[in-house]
Amino acid sequence: MAEYAIDVDGLELTYSDGTQAVRDVDLQVPEGELFGFLGPNGAGKTTTIKVLSTLLRPSAGSVRVNGFDVVGEPRKVRQTIGYMAQETSIDNDLTARENIRFACEAYGVPRSERADRIDELLELADLADVADKRANDFSGGMKKRLDAATALVHRPPLVFLDEPTTGLDPAARNRLWEYFERINEEGTTIVLTTQYLEEADQLCDRISVIHDGEIVVTGSPEALKREVGGEVLDVELTEDGTDAERARDAVASTDAVDRSAIDVTDDGLSITSPRAREIGTDVLLALRDADIPVLGFNVRSPTLDDVFLAVTGEHVDDVEDIDDGSDPVEVSR
Amino acid sequence: MSTENASQRSQQATGNTFVGDVWVNYKRWMIKSVRNPFILTGSLLQPVIFLVLFTQVFGQVATSAIGGNGPAISYETYLVPAIAVQTALAAAAASGIGLVNDIEEGMFDKILVSPMSRTGVFLGKSLAEISRIVAQIVIIIGLGWLLGARYATGIPGIVGILIIGIIFSLWFTAFSNIVALVTRDQESTIIGANILQFPLLFVSSAFLPLSVMPGWIQTVAMFNPITYGVDAARALTLGEDVMTVIEVTRFGGIWDTLVPALTILVVLDIVLVGAAVVMLNRAAKSAVQ
Repeated sequence: MAEYAIDVDGLELTYSDGTQAVRDVDLQVPEGELFGFLGPNGAGKTTTIKVLSTLLRPSAGSVRVNGFDVVGEPRKVRQTIGYMAQETSIDNDLTARENIRFACEAYGVPRSERADRIDELLELADLADVADKRANDFSGGMKKRLDAATALVHRPPLVFLDEPTTGLDPAARNRLWEYFERINEEGTTIVLTTQYLEEADQLCDRISVIHDGEIVVTGSPEALKREVGGEVLDVELTEDGTDAERARDAVASTDAVDRSAIDVTDDGLSITSPRAREIGTDVLLALRDADIPVLGFNVRSPTLDDVFLAVTGEHVDDVEDIDDGSDPVEVSR
Repeated sequence: MSTENASQRSQQATGNTFVGDVWVNYKRWMIKSVRNPFILTGSLLQPVIFLVLFTQVFGQVATSAIGGNGPAISYETYLVPAIAVQTALAAAAASGIGLVNDIEEGMFDKILVSPMSRTGVFLGKSLAEISRIVAQIVIIIGLGWLLGARYATGIPGIVGILIIGIIFSLWFTAFSNIVALVTRDQESTIIGANILQFPLLFVSSAFLPLSVMPGWIQTVAMFNPITYGVDAARALTLGEDVMTVIEVTRFGGIWDTLVPALTILVVLDIVLVGAAVVMLNRAAKSAVQ
């Protein structure tokens, strides 16, 4: 088998309407890793996953998955991967059990193992009680869990999850993640895309930030956050952010911090600096001198959003994080 | 995590044989067609209603129109082959609707990332549709017999009608799948494949002999595949040459209808099924430059 679960060199993908969705992507994912693609909608995450899972043919570049070339040996690739699409993909006319059985048959799971495998996956997806009910009557979360179960029937060594938890409530997300983490610990390589920064931060061994069809940076969440350079000083000004531009000028004039390290946010400023703690007084004094009232003030560690901002100049604006920890982290070091 | 572990795991998914792939998909579509109320009512109830209502409402009037030459034929006997063809038509229309459903539900992509043979997938689906067509035509023929229809060529003729139903269904199955692939939209497919059925049925030899219809309908009927399907099935029902759009006398008896009608249908099948297969292959490869 391959040294890398995924080995991509110079991947390009142009749709027939001329849209260049992926340009010059190089990527190696070792076996056993939990790897994440992070980026806003339209960045090229799903397109990349579709190339890796043989749904799209690369326009250029070499793509090897589990050691097999996606163009030359697509069937071998398909036998060794599980794929969970962004849109829930199940047959609503079939029951939960029948959906999983169909997947077992499609992947040629040996007949002698089928019944056990189906029961095991129903249990895992927490659908054992409704195993013989039609999927049509299921809630969104139940359908998503059933979809995940059908992607895993053949115990693939590599699983692609395209935004696996989008649209799920936090409890359902956690349950799905417990399972994904468990199969990852058992050796399954997992490649996922997500817009949830916290999710990527907590779960992924490594992530690649994709922006505009290109991988702009790859590394462990910790390393990436370290690279942002120091800590982040959030200054909350008015609610509507009217003074923000003026405040930026005022802070920039102090010499305490370089202008490029100051970002205007929705409600104030975000200043990234290795000396974030020391410059606080200078920043406050500059704002008082400019007659700009300060409502809040906080030093925190950088998040993946700061990483994203640093490498792309944009926020991951599509993120609609529900309720789990988008609050700034208090610094305790 | 180890290489050994990974390869050991992957060996558990060796895929199926080609026949296995066909069978898996056949089973899935058989379950779906039994469960889906739309397919059942749409493709069976409607022809049954047509058969019962047409024979009861128009029976008296129509019998005089069809009794031109030879011994008297009941309208039931005259109509059963047309309804058999209508059944095949309705079942074929549902084929594209099934495909577009799969595309919308994501099952299409899910099947494409599986190791199953594409040909096996579509063959399995098509065989399920053909099974349904056969079952439905058998029901229509039985119901027709109860209503008073008689089949001049006996059991071999009935088997022949089933075969004609299958041959007839292929071009329209291909057509509805093409509409599905072009529009990728369920409503358009239903409209495209379903709405077309009724005008096509009426401007053919299905319900009345063409000789009692206006000239323009006779002209349109000549280019309407339904005429050939109905005429072929009707030749077997009545045991005589019934085709009027093309006069052939070389083969004698029912063969003067069967040979030209089936030739035309088979050519049509080859052209449209060929086009659908090309489009399905392209769809499976997707929209990449």
